[in-house]
Amino acid sequence: MSNVSTPAAASIKRSRMSGKQFISTYGSLIGLVVLVIAFTVLSDGGRYISGANIRNILRMASINGLLAVGMTFVVLTGGIDLSVGAMMGCAGMYSAYFAQATMGYHWFAAVMVGVLMGLAIGLFNGVCISYLKVPAFVGTLGSMSIAQGLTFLITKSKPIPGLTDGFKNIGNGFVGPIPIPIIIMAVVLIICFTLLYKTRYGRYIFAVGGNLNAAHVSGINTKRIICSVYVISGVLSALAGVITTARVTSGVTATGDGYETDAIAMVVIGGTSLAGGKGRLWGTIVGILIMQCLTNGLDMLGVSYYAQLIVKGFVVIGAVMLDGLSAD
Amino acid sequence: MKKLSKILALIMAVSMMVLVFTACSNSSNTESPAPTGSQAADPAETGSGDEGGSTADGLSIGATYYTLQTEFCMRMDNAAKTWAEENGVEYVGYDGQNDAATQLSQVETMITNGVDAIILNPQDADACVACVDAAVAAGIPIIGVNTMVNSDQLTAYVGSEDVSAGEEIMNYMIDYMGTDSFNIVVLEGPMGQSAQLQRWEGINNVLADYPNIKILDYNTANWSRSEAMTLMETWITTYGDQIQAVVAENDEMALGARQAITAAGMDIPCIGIDGITDAVTAVSTGDMIASDFQNAEGQITGALEAAVKVINGEEVEKEIWIPFEMITPDNYEDYVGRY
Repeated sequence: MSNVSTPAAASIKRSRMSGKQFISTYGSLIGLVVLVIAFTVLSDGGRYISGANIRNILRMASINGLLAVGMTFVVLTGGIDLSVGAMMGCAGMYSAYFAQATMGYHWFAAVMVGVLMGLAIGLFNGVCISYLKVPAFVGTLGSMSIAQGLTFLITKSKPIPGLTDGFKNIGNGFVGPIPIPIIIMAVVLIICFTLLYKTRYGRYIFAVGGNLNAAHVSGINTKRIICSVYVISGVLSALAGVITTARVTSGVTATGDGYETDAIAMVVIGGTSLAGGKGRLWGTIVGILIMQCLTNGLDMLGVSYYAQLIVKGFVVIGAVMLDGLSAD
Repeated sequence: MKKLSKILALIMAVSMMVLVFTACSNSSNTESPAPTGSQAADPAETGSGDEGGSTADGLSIGATYYTLQTEFCMRMDNAAKTWAEENGVEYVGYDGQNDAATQLSQVETMITNGVDAIILNPQDADACVACVDAAVAAGIPIIGVNTMVNSDQLTAYVGSEDVSAGEEIMNYMIDYMGTDSFNIVVLEGPMGQSAQLQRWEGINNVLADYPNIKILDYNTANWSRSEAMTLMETWITTYGDQIQAVVAENDEMALGARQAITAAGMDIPCIGIDGITDAVTAVSTGDMIASDFQNAEGQITGALEAAVKVINGEEVEKEIWIPFEMITPDNYEDYVGRY
């Protein structure tokens, strides 16, 4: 990722960063491989790595992972977005409303409604946090509540069934053997990698998170950068909401409830520092896969949900512990 | 040196993780390889070969509950475990965490795991249609339990009729009051949930014949004791002793309302649905006049038995109804310590 020739200052910054993060990234990758091997051995006849199961894991990882990808941008600037789950539910519900067969809209219009909803809430977050100086934790906590309210408002908490086939296809369809959510995730990742590592904008994000004042003094419009990451997070959360809604074939108000903690965990496991400025999108992908492989594998082995919570808690703490040790 | 300690820490962390989940899985997984290995062939053989009775031995059945954090669902899961042990069935119950998408991925996991049948206690009647579709596509029977799924693909459904529960508690309250002219307030479940809709329908079915019973007010307390308490306090302030009876769509809310009533130094009869432990106690002390018991054990065992029949190629009813049972001061002892 860092082989591109870049201005001297940035390349020094980046090489130092990747040096620090090397162990932790490497560590979580090893963790993932070990997990997969362990589950394969433990699962009956190795069906953990059967094609169907890998497809299941990747599909769920693609949907839930979208939140974590957006969260990575936010966390890199030193912020946090607690509203991702609520935005996901809200966008899903509004897109479901317009995707009802009785409404007669094209599936693409319904998707756009959802995405715009996420964009609007994300922009609201961004403006509050960057221009109006509301702390990210508080601002996104507030919009989490607002988004939940908006979700209930449209339906009085009733689910919305009867979606068009075109819309449902987004969550359940395939292109060849590959589920559509995985393709969407792949496209999103290509765009995000390009943004983060091949553009000036991406370097500004790292700069803002690393040292806000220095970034400001060097002429970066830090407010605009900070505002933009919340918009990205909003749009990606909305996309996750739309895909989930299409997948379960109806709009449900509870969609996305509590997903923010998983998203933050995925980012943290991937080695991105909550203090901002340090982290790798690649690590987040590993984090997403670890969480999803764990859930799926433990489910497959019949481990109770209570025990799963405990295991996941230890994994998150363990990952951060590794991170801390590697930063010594 | 530093690197070494990091790598050591990593190895420790990973081995701890592996240890933790192998230890956890052992209890439910030790006997799994042998039965699951042969189970794929079993149903086919019983289908073509001897039709003698529906043996459950060696089958593998999975269940996903919309949550495992309420008493009712826990009771179903526990009863299923007991039943599975007695019948030699390999059983795994999943916690759907109130999330239809989670339930769907659990269904998919069960399919890859090669279960013989799936029991579905859906988070939502509409949102869980996708679960049914996934099972049907994989050719695995899927039995709904407790909450209906809006799909005609469901192999069978085992539940209790919430409409009749609403009717039963309303009728019981009228008998208790000994008059057909009084004022009530109604505590409702989360608006739009099928149990709320149907229990409300049942209450109103009865009231249609009693024009002199007046609903002073009704509102949702979301199945919650504390919300019901707050709501009841407001109603007591608003209506005072005009309220002559409280009809709650579940026990938690009836108990919350009763707490508010006692705190206000009043004595208004309350009735609820579900028959949870606290409600049985409340019936015994006279804090609730009755509770309509929803038979969690009956529902889940009914579902498991239906699943076994379907696997063995027998016919089952599309809808199997487990009746509610009224817990009253006369019979509450039968329900004490049942769980």
